[in-house]
Amino acid sequence: MKTLLLHAFMLFSGLIAAPFLLGVINRTKALFAGRKGAPLFQLYFDMAKLLRKGVTYSRTTTWIFRAAPVIGLSAVMTAMTLMPLARMSAPLSFPGDLVLFAYCLGLMRFVTVLAALDTGSSFEGMGASREVQFSALAEPVLIIAIAALVCAAGSPSLTAIFAAMTRATWQALGPALVLIVAALLVIFLVENARIPVDDPNTHLELTMIHEVMVLDYSGPDLAFILYAASLKLWVLGTLIVNIAISFLDLHGFFTPLAFTAGMLVLAVLVGIIESIMARLSLLKVPRLLMGALVLAVLAFAFIARFTS
Amino acid sequence: MTALQDTVLVLLVLSSFALLGASRLGACIRFVALQGIVTGLLPIAVSGHGPTPRVAVIGATVILIKGFFFPHLLTRAMREAQTRRELQPFVGYVTSLAFGVLALIGSFWLDSRLNLPIHGASDLVVPVALATMIIGLFLIVSRRIAVSQVIGFLVLENGIYAFGVAIVRDVPALIELGILMDVFVAVFVMGIAIYHINREFDHIDTDRLTMLKG
Amino acid sequence: MMHTGWILPAMVLAPVLLALISLLLHSPRAILRLSAFGTLSTAALSGFAVWRVFRQGPMFAAGHWFMLDALSAYHVAVMMTVFSVASLFGISYFREETADGRFGRRQSRRYGSLWFGSLAAMMLVLVSNNLGIMWIGIEATTLLTAFLICVHVAPAALEAMWKYLLMCSVGVALAFTGTLLTAASAEHASLHGTDVLLWTNLRDAAQFLNPALLKAGFIFLVVGYGTKAGLAPMHNWLPDAHSQAPAPVSAIFSGFLLNAALYCILRFLPLVEAATGHTGWGRSILVVFGLLSVLMASAFIVTQCDVKRLLAYSSVEHIGVMTLGFGIGGLGTLAALFHMLSHSLCKTLAFCCAGRLGQVFGTHDMRRITRVLSIAPMWGAGLLGGLLVLIGSAPLALFTSEFLILKAAMDRGSYVVGGLFLVGLAVVFVAVLRRMIAMACSPAADRTSPLQTHRAESLLILTSLIAMLVLGLFWPPPLMRALAAAANILGGAL
Repeated sequence: MKTLLLHAFMLFSGLIAAPFLLGVINRTKALFAGRKGAPLFQLYFDMAKLLRKGVTYSRTTTWIFRAAPVIGLSAVMTAMTLMPLARMSAPLSFPGDLVLFAYCLGLMRFVTVLAALDTGSSFEGMGASREVQFSALAEPVLIIAIAALVCAAGSPSLTAIFAAMTRATWQALGPALVLIVAALLVIFLVENARIPVDDPNTHLELTMIHEVMVLDYSGPDLAFILYAASLKLWVLGTLIVNIAISFLDLHGFFTPLAFTAGMLVLAVLVGIIESIMARLSLLKVPRLLMGALVLAVLAFAFIARFTS
Repeated sequence: MTALQDTVLVLLVLSSFALLGASRLGACIRFVALQGIVTGLLPIAVSGHGPTPRVAVIGATVILIKGFFFPHLLTRAMREAQTRRELQPFVGYVTSLAFGVLALIGSFWLDSRLNLPIHGASDLVVPVALATMIIGLFLIVSRRIAVSQVIGFLVLENGIYAFGVAIVRDVPALIELGILMDVFVAVFVMGIAIYHINREFDHIDTDRLTMLKG
Repeated sequence: MMHTGWILPAMVLAPVLLALISLLLHSPRAILRLSAFGTLSTAALSGFAVWRVFRQGPMFAAGHWFMLDALSAYHVAVMMTVFSVASLFGISYFREETADGRFGRRQSRRYGSLWFGSLAAMMLVLVSNNLGIMWIGIEATTLLTAFLICVHVAPAALEAMWKYLLMCSVGVALAFTGTLLTAASAEHASLHGTDVLLWTNLRDAAQFLNPALLKAGFIFLVVGYGTKAGLAPMHNWLPDAHSQAPAPVSAIFSGFLLNAALYCILRFLPLVEAATGHTGWGRSILVVFGLLSVLMASAFIVTQCDVKRLLAYSSVEHIGVMTLGFGIGGLGTLAALFHMLSHSLCKTLAFCCAGRLGQVFGTHDMRRITRVLSIAPMWGAGLLGGLLVLIGSAPLALFTSEFLILKAAMDRGSYVVGGLFLVGLAVVFVAVLRRMIAMACSPAADRTSPLQTHRAESLLILTSLIAMLVLGLFWPPPLMRALAAAANILGGAL
């Protein structure tokens, strides 16, 4: 009973806190730019406004276009149930759940791309093509990084991995874990369409990737999409922060505290990265992703070497 | 102790990858300088409980030459040659990085086949050294500016040096210094050659050195 | 018994000293004279050492770091012959250039110091018992000879120099990896510290070496030193460097630089053979590379018009022949050693004559070098005679050794190897003979008055040619003994 309550609490805290992270990122960017910035809870206001509005569908779209926001949101929610928070067990956990985790995120992207193609607009098709090109490079990185974690912890489930990771793991495999975190950070930026890969604020056709795919949505559908994006940010952030805080080797009440602090630090970090870096030209993005792949493969090879 | 060693090795291989992905000559020179310093730290990191004076001296010499002198020489060659700063390699950066990944996997496989005696050094030494050597060779054949070929040669040398640190202990200091001296002179001579090539040809693109064939 | 420990270090240090002296001299003529005189006196010094080695067995010095045994003594003898002949030719080669100022003080100082510098480096390779020092010597020869290629700074020479520098540096770096692997293979041979790289120690402990590591190391060594030796397919630098260097430099490149690198491979051959239980693993690698070199060189020779490039490819071919001989073993080893001597001498002669003819005609293009025998009788005879020897015409020296190598291959039952070898030689024979006939007979050429040849030059050319003939007909007993002693070290006793 107690675990059930705990799991419910974990899920709901994620569902509620996720949009707040975007608020932190935007506030950091505003501070760097010398502006006051939007309120921290801006995304909540936006979603509340959008939910109250009606929807408009283009006549060329089919049911795919309408189903996509819902499927995407449910896919990322499923991924959330698989991800443990702060060394507590995840609501749903079984050997190999990390493959399901990766594929939930894959499904979300798949339906977004499909919906973008469904509009029949060449503009959105271009965005879909870029998204697929980059994710084809990003997905192996995520899989290899997770596989490296599996090797490091010696168990094939996310809950067990983070339960097994302690400071001793860091002492044995420190450099490799740093590489994994670095690779995942790149993936975090790519998957969530942040600078230096994509600029969430721009609507310039030459450079957009993610935003261009969802241009045709309105009303509650758009709210779903924004919410799903913030959940994705949250769940991938959780992955990184979980690895990072295992170094501290905390127990009891301190773990959730460290976790919360970690998520905030991550959000601020992303804000800083976005403030000090320029968006890469599209041609250079594959190089960045290749670099992340290098980091992941390196980490995997090192860990496999030491644990075999 | 092994954490220090592993960090050094990770930095070594990462700098090779950075060289594969870097598109500007200046950045390449900085990366190879970093790699030189890391290479010099390697014998000190491997030696475990406090380096002997001999190891310390050789490490310091390596750092001085590979970390500071060579980069200085290469920067001067680059500046005097007024070469364009973009590399425009024969093989694209993404392909180069992919090749690097394959080389890394290959060297791990090779290492598991060879079973070299590593005298208690980290298990990573041999694969990292092999990967660095392969990447160095690749840099030589895939880059067209003479300066970046010299950089490739340096990466190859660093790889071999790491290899030697791992598998051969107690090489007489005289020989080690002699080898260092040879590499030193080699890069120096290459620098002079680049200077002459630049004066005679007005460029240092080795793919445009095509007078002699057949 | 006389104490002779000083003589090995002196053989290395004397050229170093001479290099320094030539930096101090002012006139190009004096430097050229010094290069000849100094080379001859170094030859006398090392001749004494070689004589002692063949009489009384190996010499050691500096705590066994220096060693001169029959194999290295034989190489020293070949090297000093090549350097002496080439330095004598150098005087006449640079005479015109000195007169018109192209070979000024700067060039001559560079030439003199690097000439002796590379002599010292090659001597270091030959007399060092320590495999690390041997490597240092080889690397030093690369760096020193690089600038000899462009004594005259010109675009083509620089291009050749860059290729040479880069390819050989990389090759030699790989050879160093091989040396490291060899040292690592001695882990269980109870050798410690400084002893592990001494060749004599490794030879004595050969059966305790780890075969897998030694095999891996040997592959690195063959590829690495093979690059420097000009074995195909790592030979690309060779024709460029040989064709752009001044003729006496080309002569020492072909005549001995390649052999010095091959010598390094040979040092490792007995180790590998002993460690792998004399199964012929190492030798079969040499056979493959040797055969490949012969065949590839023959293909390039067919289309070649530049006489110095032709000679360069011929060097690739002959290095291939030697490697093949060492690979076959037994009688082949003996024949390959003899081949080395006669090829070096003959190639020196051919390069010097070709260089001189190039100066006379103002080109190295064989289609424009015509009627050589009437325009420059002595030099023409030297080049044509040299080429005749190089293609292995019947009673001359190289014919004998090539025939013996073929016989060794057939005796061992490797008919495919022998057959391919013959094909390569036949292609070279026909291709070069065609060029030679054209050079000797085809008309045109506006110049009619025969070129005056110095008496000493004629003497040198004639002596070399006669030596080629004599060596083809019979081997003097001392040479025979020296060959047998050197072959014995490589496990190739008859």
